[in-house]
Amino acid sequence: MDPNSLIPSPDTIPAPSWVFILLEQLLFLLHIIVINAALGGAIITLVKRFKMKDEEYTALYKPAAVKLPILIALGINFAIPPLLFLQVVFGNLFYSSSVLMAVYWIMIIPLLVIAYYGFYIHSAKLTSSPRFSKAAIACSILIMLYIGLMLVTNNSLMVQPEKWSAYFENRGGTILNFSDPAIFPRYLHFITASIAVGSLFFAFIYKFKKHENSEVLIKNSLKIFAIATSFQVLVGTWYLLAIPSEFIPNFMGKDIVSSLVLLIGFLFGIISIIVAFKGNFNLTIITLFITMVAMITTRHNLRMMYLEDNFTLNQLILVPQYGVLALFLFVLLLGLVAIGYMLKIGFPKTNGEAV
Amino acid sequence: MNYPIWELYELTSGTLVAIISVFHAFIAHLAVGGGLFLWLTDLKSTKENNLELTQYVRKHTKFFLLLTMVAGGVTGVGIWFIIALANPAATSSLIHNFVFGWAIEWVFFIGEIVALLIYHYRFDVMKQKQRLNVAFLYFLFAWLSMVVINGILAYMLTPGKWLETGEFWDGFFNPTYFPSLLFRSAAAAMIAGMFGYVTVVFSLKSKFRSKMLKYCTKWLLYPVPFIIIGGIWYLYSIPETLRITNFTMNSQASSVILIFIVSSILIFVFGLFINLKIKPVYQKILIFVILIIGQAWYGGFEYLREYARKPFIITDHMYSTSILLKDADLLNKEGVLKHAKWTPIKEVTNDNIREAGRELFNIQCLCCHTIDGVKNDILKKTKNLTYMGMLSHLEGQGRILKYMPPVFGTVKEKEALAEFIIGDLHKRKIERVPEKFTHLKKLNHEVPAFDKKNDDYVLFVWNDLGMSCTFDSDPWWVILPPKNTFEATLIKRGETPEIITEGVELTYKVEKGFEEPVNRDPQFWEYSKSNYGKELEKNIGLTGNGMSGKFTYNEDKVVFIASAIPITPYPDDMPYNPYALFDIEAKDMETGKLLMKTKVVAPNSTEAGCKNCHAGGWRYEGVSGISDQTAINVLHAHDRISGTNLYEEAKDGKPQNCKACHLHPDLENKDPNQTLDLAAAMHGWHSNYMPFENENACRLCHPDSPDGSTKCSRSIHDVLGMTCVDCHGHINDHAISVLKGQSYKTASKKYLDIIKPVRFSSQDEIDPRIPWENEPECLSCHEDYEKPEKGFTSFNKWSPNKPEIFRYRTDDAGIRCVLCHNAPHAEFPARNIWGVNRDNIQPVQYQGNPLPIGSEQSCYVCHKKSMEDPIHHENMMRKFRNAELVKKEGLM
Repeated sequence: MDPNSLIPSPDTIPAPSWVFILLEQLLFLLHIIVINAALGGAIITLVKRFKMKDEEYTALYKPAAVKLPILIALGINFAIPPLLFLQVVFGNLFYSSSVLMAVYWIMIIPLLVIAYYGFYIHSAKLTSSPRFSKAAIACSILIMLYIGLMLVTNNSLMVQPEKWSAYFENRGGTILNFSDPAIFPRYLHFITASIAVGSLFFAFIYKFKKHENSEVLIKNSLKIFAIATSFQVLVGTWYLLAIPSEFIPNFMGKDIVSSLVLLIGFLFGIISIIVAFKGNFNLTIITLFITMVAMITTRHNLRMMYLEDNFTLNQLILVPQYGVLALFLFVLLLGLVAIGYMLKIGFPKTNGEAV
Repeated sequence: MNYPIWELYELTSGTLVAIISVFHAFIAHLAVGGGLFLWLTDLKSTKENNLELTQYVRKHTKFFLLLTMVAGGVTGVGIWFIIALANPAATSSLIHNFVFGWAIEWVFFIGEIVALLIYHYRFDVMKQKQRLNVAFLYFLFAWLSMVVINGILAYMLTPGKWLETGEFWDGFFNPTYFPSLLFRSAAAAMIAGMFGYVTVVFSLKSKFRSKMLKYCTKWLLYPVPFIIIGGIWYLYSIPETLRITNFTMNSQASSVILIFIVSSILIFVFGLFINLKIKPVYQKILIFVILIIGQAWYGGFEYLREYARKPFIITDHMYSTSILLKDADLLNKEGVLKHAKWTPIKEVTNDNIREAGRELFNIQCLCCHTIDGVKNDILKKTKNLTYMGMLSHLEGQGRILKYMPPVFGTVKEKEALAEFIIGDLHKRKIERVPEKFTHLKKLNHEVPAFDKKNDDYVLFVWNDLGMSCTFDSDPWWVILPPKNTFEATLIKRGETPEIITEGVELTYKVEKGFEEPVNRDPQFWEYSKSNYGKELEKNIGLTGNGMSGKFTYNEDKVVFIASAIPITPYPDDMPYNPYALFDIEAKDMETGKLLMKTKVVAPNSTEAGCKNCHAGGWRYEGVSGISDQTAINVLHAHDRISGTNLYEEAKDGKPQNCKACHLHPDLENKDPNQTLDLAAAMHGWHSNYMPFENENACRLCHPDSPDGSTKCSRSIHDVLGMTCVDCHGHINDHAISVLKGQSYKTASKKYLDIIKPVRFSSQDEIDPRIPWENEPECLSCHEDYEKPEKGFTSFNKWSPNKPEIFRYRTDDAGIRCVLCHNAPHAEFPARNIWGVNRDNIQPVQYQGNPLPIGSEQSCYVCHKKSMEDPIHHENMMRKFRNAELVKKEGLM
């Protein structure tokens, strides 16, 4: 069956597609940083809790551990706009792949509620019931790993309409695209990044929250980051080799922009490893940020390569709503001002305490 | 159409939408109202410098955060997830039309989250005033979120001008926007009060607890006027057609309305209870009760809002099935499958019919109907239908009961869908046409002697109707009892014949085997009291006549009449015979001398086709009659559609006579609330559901199927190949004509709004008629008694009044038309499937042929000689036009 015949006709879009792609990528960056921090933070927390005595752990890690629910709250919130803008440009693909894996996809919601409460239980029962606390965060981690896998799967299935004909053998919403060799390195890429960013989250907390062991804790965290990111180089290479072979040359010079962006990501990733090993927190943050921008752009470039035969942005018909777009930007500005105001009064300078 | 469909047969994705949405809406409104509650309560604590109250606010905030931000926030995303799975096309439409609305809503959402986190985590760090500002900002962001979402939700119900312009703001500020916002804002405050109780009961001590309980109760009470005003304003902002369709005609909505009203009252009852001095443990229990009722109350509202826009997901734009209104004609013409992307079958063929049916089920039914599942189970909904009934449903769906979308597609596609549901899901036999009657026999009869030279009298007898139908579903409902009426005229032959009206006695006697109908089928007598208001002796009919008896002379009609003879088609010696013969004799009263005797059929059929669609099979020995199951199914359908309780009443021993409500139209008192007469009600309703055209539509119900047991239409017109529709019109046109005859009735208007004429370009071209008073006029075709022009129809050429209809009308000499031509539907020469000349006994007896009395110049029958002048009507002195055909058919 011609995969193109299955692709639903897209609806009209209210602004040029680049607007939505840009917004999607920007807010996805924000989302992935927060979610990486939450998941990685949780994994590191759990590992530490198994390695250390409860009292010892509480003394060292409590300030960071109790912030995890806040990360989840923000992470979920930041997931909304990229998912929204993705649906504007790629909605016809995304809805189709979601239906194909509907059972796994909708399970995200009840599981996420459980995971979210798990994080709260973890911090509320940190000292009063350490076992329960550990079980809760372990459960939350498992769920987040599940959700991550589903997101990766849906993103992969969405761009491969040639896999969609599986629907005619299975319409119960239980299709997973695990036959795609790129899924597992991609998923591992996400988990490794989470551990790296999660460790930086700890470093970040101790950077601002003065603690007698801050220096050591930051160094340790940066070390975990460096190790994880070193491993990430291997995972990334695996991922690159696992994508369809016809795309690989695009990243090797055939497509200059894509190659350059990946190269920047790669180089800054290497630099971040070096500066992290050296214990330079600020440089690590900066180089990681550049790496992540480059990698997210690469993610988009790869998506467009997958879709080349089946879907182009030119197919989208523009029926502009520029007035409402302007209103959104204005409201966004007002929102940021209000958030800034609240942060200011919530965290007065004299206090010196950070979230 | 455009997207794959999640085959969740036992549940449907729509059920998941309902579960997630109902819960989310309750919590989401708490998030809004609770914002106001926190801000104002904190303000109060600050003003009163009430530390206890401040602590309450603090505790409540934690509970509030855990509930609204986690469960509320995630289920909000959950709705988005699930609607995209349940109806991707509609979700896509909402996203693409309102993406910046959603984006703005997200800004408010992030503002809301930041505000709540800061308020909760930095409660003690901030100064009072700053804390209040944050609380206010939280409320503002939460309410603004609702301001945005409300626009999009209200748009789905009433898209307003957007339908023409496609403009964002036209869709956003739509007709129900403001009433909905008022209602939701007030409801949010009320819900905040309900949840306010929770922290009070679970964490406060006695004195302060009762004070705070009162405080929370005020939150329940103050919004009430706004809820009432908003609710009424909201309801009346919904277009009337949608309101009637979904709140009056959809019986499912009534249970939800009941839940909404009862729970509204109970919230306040329990709200007052909780303020009483009762043990804390009871208060804690009461809290859960209030919250459950509150959930039911708000779920009820959201459900009603969803119901209100049925059959659409976006009113007047997209059906619940994702099919766009604008595509309807295309899909009916070219087929749904051809335009559906996610189906391997693009066309129905004989080899793929069930598979195609399944695809069509997925596309057009699965959005609302489960298969053997939790709600709207298609198996339960269609359990009382046959294949034809299913097909009829698919044909008529969405026409009268507009809360369901029409089923689109070609005839073949509808057949495939019906076959899938009945054949694959119910595992029932597919009968595409009414089953063939297999007990048919050619019956012989004797023709009484007639000496055309010496006999002085000639006796004519006819049935007042060409077919008397009996509805033998007496334990449940009836339309017509067994009642055949004979009319007779005795003529003294001579050059100037004389109609004898006195001094003679006319008697009738049924043929052997029919004498005691009660033995074969006692139902009519068992239920006569409740159905017809009379306790009857066995084998005696409604006017006191039995299976043999005397005629009485009727001066008004100038005929002898034997009325309401309770003949049934169930003789002793065979399963079924709808044409019993009667011996009729005329004797001189004084001398007792037999003046003349003849025979006549009493056509009586129980072959009512209800079971063809309503299932249940035949009642009487598997050959005819309305079975209990069929009758019950009909009552269930009536109860569901008209909100009656007929089934239960019948079950309690009070069966229904349909004509007791569906009376003949009362044109003297044109009350719009009058129930339609039976003809208008039956045709007005069923014409919408006919999967067949022309005479096949009529034959689905009336006893005229060529393979059936009766073949009611058996006159020369039938021999010539004419059918029902040649005189009565296509069922739609027929329905329109009788509905227009009583167009002052509201119910009539309802049908006239939807029935489309078939052989006319508009309803205006169809003349109104009153059933049994305005009938097809013979002379409209037989102008000047001549051969009709080809293609001519008597439809729309109604006889002006009752005396002018064929069965009452007289010729120029005062002789009833039916005397020579026989009863309607059996005009001479009639061809009876139970024996060719069974209806023609008298012409055969008197003339030696089955032709109308007096034809072929056989004037001698009455005049004893040939006559020269056509005194009965013009053009009678000629050869019978279709003699050759009649011969060919074996009638002579």
